[in-house]
Amino acid sequence: MDPVEVRGLAKTFYDEARGEVPAVQGIDFECHAGEIFGLLGANGAGKTTTLRMLSTILTPTGGSATILGHDIASEPTEVRKCLGFYSASTALYPRLTARETIEFFTRINQYSGDVKQRVDYLIERFGISKYASARIDKLSTGMKQKVSIARTVAHDPPLLIFDEPTVGLDVLNALDMQDVIREFRAHGKTILFSTHIMSEAEKLCDRIAIIHAGRILACNNLEGLRAVTGERYLEDIFVHYVRGQG
Amino acid sequence: MANRFRWTDIRCLYWRELRSALRERSIVVNGILLPIFLYPLLLWMVYTGITFVGGQTQGFASRVALKGLPQQHQAFKDELQRDVRIELKDSGDPTGEIRAGGLDLLAEFLPPAEGAVPLEGNFRVQLTFDDSKDRSRIARDRFRELLSRYRDGYFERQAGILGISRAQLQQFWIESRNVATSRQMGQFILGLMLPLFLIIMVAVGCMYPAIDSTAGEREKSTWETSMTLATPLTNIVAAKYLYVTTMATMAGLLNLTAMLLSMKAVLAPILGGDSDEMSFQIPPASIPLIVLATVLLASFVAAGMMIIASFARTFREGQAMVSPFYVAIFMPILFLQVPGLQFTPALAAIPIVNVAMVFREAIAGTFHWPLIGITLAVEILCVVVALWLATNILRYEDFLMGNYGGNLAKFLKERVLGGKRRGRH
Repeated sequence: MDPVEVRGLAKTFYDEARGEVPAVQGIDFECHAGEIFGLLGANGAGKTTTLRMLSTILTPTGGSATILGHDIASEPTEVRKCLGFYSASTALYPRLTARETIEFFTRINQYSGDVKQRVDYLIERFGISKYASARIDKLSTGMKQKVSIARTVAHDPPLLIFDEPTVGLDVLNALDMQDVIREFRAHGKTILFSTHIMSEAEKLCDRIAIIHAGRILACNNLEGLRAVTGERYLEDIFVHYVRGQG
Repeated sequence: MANRFRWTDIRCLYWRELRSALRERSIVVNGILLPIFLYPLLLWMVYTGITFVGGQTQGFASRVALKGLPQQHQAFKDELQRDVRIELKDSGDPTGEIRAGGLDLLAEFLPPAEGAVPLEGNFRVQLTFDDSKDRSRIARDRFRELLSRYRDGYFERQAGILGISRAQLQQFWIESRNVATSRQMGQFILGLMLPLFLIIMVAVGCMYPAIDSTAGEREKSTWETSMTLATPLTNIVAAKYLYVTTMATMAGLLNLTAMLLSMKAVLAPILGGDSDEMSFQIPPASIPLIVLATVLLASFVAAGMMIIASFARTFREGQAMVSPFYVAIFMPILFLQVPGLQFTPALAAIPIVNVAMVFREAIAGTFHWPLIGITLAVEILCVVVALWLATNILRYEDFLMGNYGGNLAKFLKERVLGGKRRGRH
């Protein structure tokens, strides 16, 4: 069984002005253990909605998905215990210190080991020691990013979901983020990653799903996508599929 | 399974909320410092101000014109001249001068009424003053006080001449006696003020945390973070609710304690020597009831404010949405100012008013248990209804994600009364 299995997953929103808006229209994919799986799509393609459904923030209107064997609709708490969710829209609690933040996420996400040891390890691992006692609202963007990553992995989940993790970061912080994601893979984590930046997907992902208008148009590794489309660069591959769809 | 309460999670979330709150200046000021210091300080300032203004007024000499004072009562004129608070003046047009503010009082000495007891030097006095002017009213009171004293002496002398006692001459007079004990007087004053301030403080202490933990979380983008925690949403909401209720209860009880400790000193300027004789204490047996009523009141106000504020996307929007509810809480307690208001089953059925009445009676050490029972039942019912409503609202995903474009009234109209179920989990 793969850590993530998605079958016919769909989400339709209702908007007073526009009526029913299908954001995700019956997608299928799976993530293999220990790989970085990328969801590549333009803004509004359905990446964030998909990841929010998988992390149980949103409830699907169709289809199903399991995270490490737990159904996202019927076992949301179990699902959340198994994953760490990182996105630009999940901010940190501004009035806690960095240490308190990591400790809070370690406890509430039910880390099974010694909480204090885990917090000390994460502070050391992500170089947070110097500002561990500072309040989050006093930290720089780069510092907050490190604390955010630490809180995402606080309970040592086997699956990590990163929703456009480099949005809003400068080049150096974005590169740091990519290194961290690679390191997590090296430690055996399964990573589900969304981006609209082609180079990022090309560098990081073991397999890529191209998503457009709520549908997955292709899902393969980079070599496989090149072979099918005859294009060399991911940007051209993406355009090939999206234009072909249009 | 999905909605199971986990107390360890609720405790963890609760401490997170409380810790954050105690680091926010506005919450500390509104929830802790204001209840302790503001109202005692405000009352002290108001009363001291009144006393100061009164003192300033007392410092003026009252300008009095005498007309027709009989020769044998020149001693009264001497008394008036000796009193520094009185300045005797001559006036050609005393009524005109009183109207213009140049004179405060005209005292006209007239012959006794026809058929009056024939006492030597008996007289009537007619006072002319302007009731719309403070100085003129004060002049009247001062003159009456001096005249009354002089009159008592005059009766004493005349009774001596007739060989009878003053009581026999005067026939009847009025004496008043207050049967209330010092404790009862203190409890009466406490009963007037404390329920009002307690309810105001619970609302003030509740408002900021209620908005901060709902609309504030949306504004800071931490709401979605909370939704990814490995605990059911019910635990997150329960912890927030407990935290807001705690802050509201704390504000109310801190204010109560501060008022009890400072009441005597606060009221001293206005009550003068009377405050020394008063005892501002709550019967110990009433304390559990007051605490319970405060907790229930806080639970109701917290639930109401959180539900309303949760429709807002920003703190400012939350304030605008909650303000009418905030004002609505104060409206019923205006009833408390109605003189002689009795605690009846009808009043016990009105939320907020019933709690205020329980406070008032508990302070006086009176316990109408059937009415207290109705009050507690009504407050619990209000809390249950509010929580039921909150549970219903939380089922809507567009509400949870902050995409619902309306307020509580619109939501109730469309989805509770209108039956629309779109977007429900």
